[in-house]
Amino acid sequence: MRTAMLRAAMLAGISVAMVGCAVNETATVNVREDGTTEQILESNSGVLSSSLSIADTKTGFVGNMLKAQVSIKNDSRSDLSFQYKFKWLDQSGFEVAIDGSPWTPLAITPYESKTVQGVAPNPTVKSFKILVQD
Amino acid sequence: MKLIQLFTFILAGLILTACANGPKISYGDATAVETTTMGFGSTDLQTIAAKLVDGLISFPPIVQMTSARRPVVFVDKIKNKTTEHIDTESITDTIQTKLLQSGKFRFVDMTAVKAVQEQMQFQMDSGMVDPTKAAAFGKQTGAEFMLYGNMSSIVKRGSGAQDVYYKFTLKLVNLESGIMEWAGEKEIRKSGEKSFMSL
Repeated sequence: MRTAMLRAAMLAGISVAMVGCAVNETATVNVREDGTTEQILESNSGVLSSSLSIADTKTGFVGNMLKAQVSIKNDSRSDLSFQYKFKWLDQSGFEVAIDGSPWTPLAITPYESKTVQGVAPNPTVKSFKILVQD
Repeated sequence: MKLIQLFTFILAGLILTACANGPKISYGDATAVETTTMGFGSTDLQTIAAKLVDGLISFPPIVQMTSARRPVVFVDKIKNKTTEHIDTESITDTIQTKLLQSGKFRFVDMTAVKAVQEQMQFQMDSGMVDPTKAAAFGKQTGAEFMLYGNMSSIVKRGSGAQDVYYKFTLKLVNLESGIMEWAGEKEIRKSGEKSFMSL
């Protein structure tokens, strides 16, 4: 009986650790032909999904390169340290410069929102994704 | 007799299992955040390159200049003023690759000058290359800009804690006029518990 409980506790521990490493928030922003944007937010049941939110996304062009800005808000009462990463997609949805942008560490104090920016690696980029993980 | 056979069988099985279990090796994400020690790491290199390239290609006068043409740049060495051994050429290589792939700049590679010279000498003097197809001397393009910079660090150690601050500065200078067209900086702060082996 005791062994069974121990096993269950270990399994629960492992699953929590696995969730802790998962990608928690994803925002996909598509820039339409007329310049308007469409934002799709996805989040899974990770630790961050309840305490972090993607407050706002903005896109613009510097020359012919897409520039992205994302505001990330800490909705919790504690300091949060996490990582974010941009993924750049072309018009057909193909990822451009795979592994080109690194996971970047970021820390936010309670109820503060921080803005992160990125510039597309080349002019073929038409939309982007931002991924957040703890 | 049967017992010996059984024993040999088990032993052979054990040896085979031992052979199958090699060292535990796995592949990881090259862009993942790495915090093995306080020293300069892959995450620092990647964030420095990403920030500075973003800064350079989105700087308004540079955007204007690169909208019509692709200026030729040469990359000088980055001075490492930190207390660590850092391969700064690796940082400039990443920056150069990103800039080249953005389609905004072209580069002359000073690290390959000797090899290029030898190849051209071979084409000219060996008598093995068709003279009409040999690359001619004196036709290379000169760089218009120079990219160079510094890397410095401040390391502080207290009782039980240590703090490392890195500052990477990159500058773009017009070779003819000497005017600095752009400069960018990336700062990194890392704090951690003091350990005997780190740094």
